Amino acid sequence: WLPSLQLVRRGSKAVTRHWKAMHFQRQKLMAVTEYIAPRPAVPPRCLTPRRETVEKEDGYRRLLQRQVQEVFRDNRMVAVCQYNSMPDEEVVLMRHYLRKHNIEVKFVLNEIVRPVLSQSKYKNLLPLFVARNILLVSPETKAKEMLRVLKGVPQVNLLGACIDDTILSRQGVENFAKLPSLEASQGQTVGALSLLPSQTSSLLQRGPAHLTALLDQHLRRLRDEGMGGMAGGTESMAGGTG
Amino acid sequence: RKMASKISVVLRPVKSIVVRFCPFETNVESTRKFLQCINHKKIQATNRNCEVTADVRHDGSEPVVDVKFADGDRLIMKGANLTTVEMLRALGSRCSAKDIKEEQKSKKKSH
Repeated sequence: WLPSLQLVRRGSKAVTRHWKAMHFQRQKLMAVTEYIAPRPAVPPRCLTPRRETVEKEDGYRRLLQRQVQEVFRDNRMVAVCQYNSMPDEEVVLMRHYLRKHNIEVKFVLNEIVRPVLSQSKYKNLLPLFVARNILLVSPETKAKEMLRVLKGVPQVNLLGACIDDTILSRQGVENFAKLPSLEASQGQTVGALSLLPSQTSSLLQRGPAHLTALLDQHLRRLRDEGMGGMAGGTESMAGGTG
Repeated sequence: RKMASKISVVLRPVKSIVVRFCPFETNVESTRKFLQCINHKKIQATNRNCEVTADVRHDGSEPVVDVKFADGDRLIMKGANLTTVEMLRALGSRCSAKDIKEEQKSKKKSH
């Protein structure tokens, strides 16, 4: 049984090498049955985004946080500086000069330092940790030398420091550097305190010393007069009083 | 997102830049990032004579960028409510405008 209608109009077969236009009915069918992607009622941009923060390698992160905690615990002086990109040789030079004063340079990531700080007592250092920072840590408090080295490096700007659990601004650090050393100030206090007691003893002795001086003078005058003619009576009297 | 480092600024017409901020305030982030970008090698290479100074204070004042040009003009940008990209674009546009003016002047002189 052969079909009654055989479309042989143009003479080209169904499968051609050129792009053959679809039959109009087929075109209509294809247009009607096109795929429409399902869209949510509210576009996802308008909704609050789901927090997809992945715990970035938990172990490494914890290690770095532990290191930061140790740094804050073991060092008396912790200075926070802003780091603008410097050529590598200058970084090495700066590290070298600071090492001479026992100051270590540490590069830190804000996202690690922030949670550590917020849980410790250094909450006021939190606003400092924005943009790239470095920490200069040292068990000694050599602020003057640190400031001198940093002056030679224009691309590192001192923002603030925490010295002996006291948070200082840049002016605070400069004032701290101008202070005399601990031994000198201790000596100054001791000297000031002992000044008054040293004066007291001389003050107390002033009265009797004056009296003895006057009596000595009197003795001498009597002796001189006594040499002139008086008997041993005055001498004995002078000897009794003297 | 790292657009800030891709904006190139030609610092030739600039004499000095002073960035003043108070790091313990909370509105200084864009100013600090601006300072970082300005200190980048490429931008510093366009003008070695330009002095970039950072003034760190603790008096609760606003973050300010003070740019002095070689022909006496001054650009003051208050960074408290500006983003880094905006500040860089503003500076970049002014620098290129001045550059074009200088080139035109030098061309006129040579004619």
